[in-house]
Amino acid sequence: MILKKLLILSIIGFISFSSCKKDDPVTPVIPNEEELITTLNYTLTNAFDSTDVVTLTFVDLDGDGGDAPTITGGSLNANKTYNGRIELLDETNPADVEDITEEVLEEDEDHQFFFSAASITVIYDDLDTNNNPVGLQTILNAGSAGLDTLKITLIHEPNKDAMGVSDGNMANAGGETDIEVSFPINVVQ
Amino acid sequence: MLYNNLKLFLFVCLFIVFNLQAQNCNNYIKGRVFDKGTSLPLSFVNILIQESLKGTTSDKDGFFILNNLCQGEIHLIISHIGCDPKKILIDLKKDTLLRIPMSHTLLGAIVVEGEQSSNIYFQSISSLSRTTIENNSNKTLGELIQNESGVNLMKNGSGISKPIVHGLYGNRVKIINNDIIQSGQDWGNGHAPEIDPLSADKITIIKGVSAIEYGAGNLGSVVLLEQQKIEKEPHLHGQTNYTYESNGRGNNVNLRLEKYSKYFAWRINGTLKKYGDKKSSTYFLNNTGHQEANFSLSLQKSWKEKLFMDIYTSTFNTRLGILRGSQVGNITALNIALNAEIPDKTDSLFRYDIDAPKQEINHHLAKLKLKYFFNENNSIIFLLSGQLNHRKEFDVRRAGRSDIPSLDLLQHTYNSEFKYTHSFKNLWKFKIGNQNIITNNTNDPNTGILPLIPDYNNWKNGLFSTLSGKINKANFKIGFRYDTELQKVAEISNDLPRRIIRYENNFHNISGLSSVKFNLTSKQSLAINSGYSERNPGINELYSFGLHQGVSGLEEGTLSLKKEKALKNTLEYIWYPSSNFSINTLIYHQSFNGFINLIPKQKENIDGVLVNEIRTTLRGAFPVFKYQQTNANIYGFDISSQFSIRNSFFGLIKYSFLSGQDVKNKIPLIYMPSNSIFGSLKYQINKSNILNKGKFENTEIEINNRFIFEQKNILIGQDFVSPPPSYNLFGLKFSTNLILPNYKIRFFTEFNNLFNVKYRDYLNRQRYFANDLGLSVIIGLNFKF
Repeated sequence: MILKKLLILSIIGFISFSSCKKDDPVTPVIPNEEELITTLNYTLTNAFDSTDVVTLTFVDLDGDGGDAPTITGGSLNANKTYNGRIELLDETNPADVEDITEEVLEEDEDHQFFFSAASITVIYDDLDTNNNPVGLQTILNAGSAGLDTLKITLIHEPNKDAMGVSDGNMANAGGETDIEVSFPINVVQ
Repeated sequence: MLYNNLKLFLFVCLFIVFNLQAQNCNNYIKGRVFDKGTSLPLSFVNILIQESLKGTTSDKDGFFILNNLCQGEIHLIISHIGCDPKKILIDLKKDTLLRIPMSHTLLGAIVVEGEQSSNIYFQSISSLSRTTIENNSNKTLGELIQNESGVNLMKNGSGISKPIVHGLYGNRVKIINNDIIQSGQDWGNGHAPEIDPLSADKITIIKGVSAIEYGAGNLGSVVLLEQQKIEKEPHLHGQTNYTYESNGRGNNVNLRLEKYSKYFAWRINGTLKKYGDKKSSTYFLNNTGHQEANFSLSLQKSWKEKLFMDIYTSTFNTRLGILRGSQVGNITALNIALNAEIPDKTDSLFRYDIDAPKQEINHHLAKLKLKYFFNENNSIIFLLSGQLNHRKEFDVRRAGRSDIPSLDLLQHTYNSEFKYTHSFKNLWKFKIGNQNIITNNTNDPNTGILPLIPDYNNWKNGLFSTLSGKINKANFKIGFRYDTELQKVAEISNDLPRRIIRYENNFHNISGLSSVKFNLTSKQSLAINSGYSERNPGINELYSFGLHQGVSGLEEGTLSLKKEKALKNTLEYIWYPSSNFSINTLIYHQSFNGFINLIPKQKENIDGVLVNEIRTTLRGAFPVFKYQQTNANIYGFDISSQFSIRNSFFGLIKYSFLSGQDVKNKIPLIYMPSNSIFGSLKYQINKSNILNKGKFENTEIEINNRFIFEQKNILIGQDFVSPPPSYNLFGLKFSTNLILPNYKIRFFTEFNNLFNVKYRDYLNRQRYFANDLGLSVIIGLNFKF
């Protein structure tokens, strides 16, 4: 008898629990992704002709999301020298674009950009608080004519004292990759 | 009067005490010691009166006698190799006869005691005793059970490990802590269970087919932590444990006190741990320290041996460092790390400091359990519990954000459970119960990062029933379970503009099991188990989205996942021709329909050929991993053998083989444990040595060896790098007990990775970056009173 009663009790318990009120989760607050970098602009100005300005841009507004980034390369004049300037932005919210360059500048001893290409060469034109390069400002030489790919890497917490690192050689830098983008470049005669 | 069922409640022993005649200081205790499982007599068992240090040893038939005893309260300490030592309080008024059953953990696979015994008798189990737990007080739950056959560890460096049983882990294996299903972020491969093993008296691994009574979602195996009932001892008893570990310069302290009074019985347990950077065979693993502070309180009370109440609360708090050099960024950086001789950011300084990347976890539990016996055949259990799990994970971030967690999850879980057991006259047993679990999971938006898993509410209701009995020589058990799960999810979109997307899922799962165990002769048994179970996809498998630090991959959930269905069959054969030899073989096969695993996402390239998707982001290129379903088979066997020679040498050999195949795509399953051999040889000095007022007992020395084979069942390209080669680790252990009139001191020392071998383990996620741990020397003291 007791068995039957308990069987009924357990089924009642099961039903009553499964029919209790089930609230939707409270609407989550969308985090302010202030750390996200969506845009890198590399502005190159011809050292002897300030009207010759080329801007390379990499824009990926949805971060790690599935939409492919927009990459805009450019065309440079062979063997010409350009002053380069990197700008980092968070454009997630078009109404409130944030400049991430300042954050990198504030922690310049913990950041360094590296540049690599086939014939284009880039040298540093800035120094951090420890007199090591950062790479926000650079001098670029376009090299010989032809198609090239310029890869820009930003390393967080590199070992700037390691061999070759302050000369722009990434091999011994260690650290964490914050940015790695590649631009198609057409170097014309 | 004791009811049949109450016997189960008594942790180890029952005494049958015959009262004879009284005489002051001229009384004797006569007794017989036998193995609880096999009923065979146990010889060479030490019986010692703690107060006077007078003692004796049982003869070949298990008999012993202690003469010329004075009247009054005495404590008897009974110890035997391979058994948990036991302490008995006797109020000696007359000559006394004792029958002492000892539970042999050496033949652990055969003997089961405790409340859970009826549930698990049919399924293959292995269990760890309190002594083993105490001797390994420096270890995490995972590390503690990793030498059990069929058990492996998924690690994230040295401090974070989670158990894998028969190839399954995470939300496929349930951990039951003190009757309560552990609830946390168990989906994460780098998340360890938030449990202090020192609060348990016994840890059991059920390598079963379908653990019907332990809630939805598990596909067979269960790790069970149980506390022993506080003994009816009016004296305050307790112990304190201190362990020092050279690798990591770790200090571990544990204190446990318990007392019985007629109002209530209580037990407290507290643990503190502090470790700094660990060391591989040659270099420091920077930022791999950990800290832990745990406390638990248990209150027990019974009314007229009919109603039993058990209140338990615990808090577990930890901070775990993760190797600094393991946070690298994109796939290019990972490739550099894979080829590096030593990890990035390695230096020669030892530190206790823990910086980002790190995890901080708090887990709190409160439970009320009531058990009522209507009569000797009927009992009911009612359980109520609440858990709070707060997990914060920190990464190295820009602009001082390393102090802001990248993941900040708060989870509340409420559990109610009810179980009714009816025993029939013919020893058949019927059980019915239901479980209700409510989970609420929220992300803190202050991370500044899109959450890896969304906010959700979850309701689980389960109803189960089992029937067990005996027909002729065959014991059988059948069981059935039905579960419903409702998930209500509020996810932040990962495309723009950011918005809230809501989902609601309803699942119905069934599971069933049938078990038969034949006691072929008194010395061999054969058990056949079959179980079917269904598991609905978890929140992480459906909705997770984000970058997985450390493996440099983007993980994506899949909305269209269906239930995972598993059929597992096991066959276990046990042969124990004598108390000096036993052999245990377990063969298992589990086939899955819709096995959910995280594998590289494919997409068509410009030529229309399917290739692994590499997603370009501003941070570089990342491979994309997606939860996908396939059909799979996991099968293998565990074989173990134990033997003893002249009651001085004790040997143990275990071998585990496992193979996992994705049968749909005809490729191996990734992250399946490698095959392994474990062997140990122990020598025990049977004689006790008297030293002044003390007495040394059960002095043991053990050498052990663990050989892990290379995981060859994997194709090139399934992982970033091929599995590491096989490795062979030696260990050495020594322990002795000093018994003094009022207390007992146990001294133990252990050498792990004795030869400081350089190795990497396939299931350690840090193997991409660093070597595993080098030599470690552990010294411990245990003081019992």
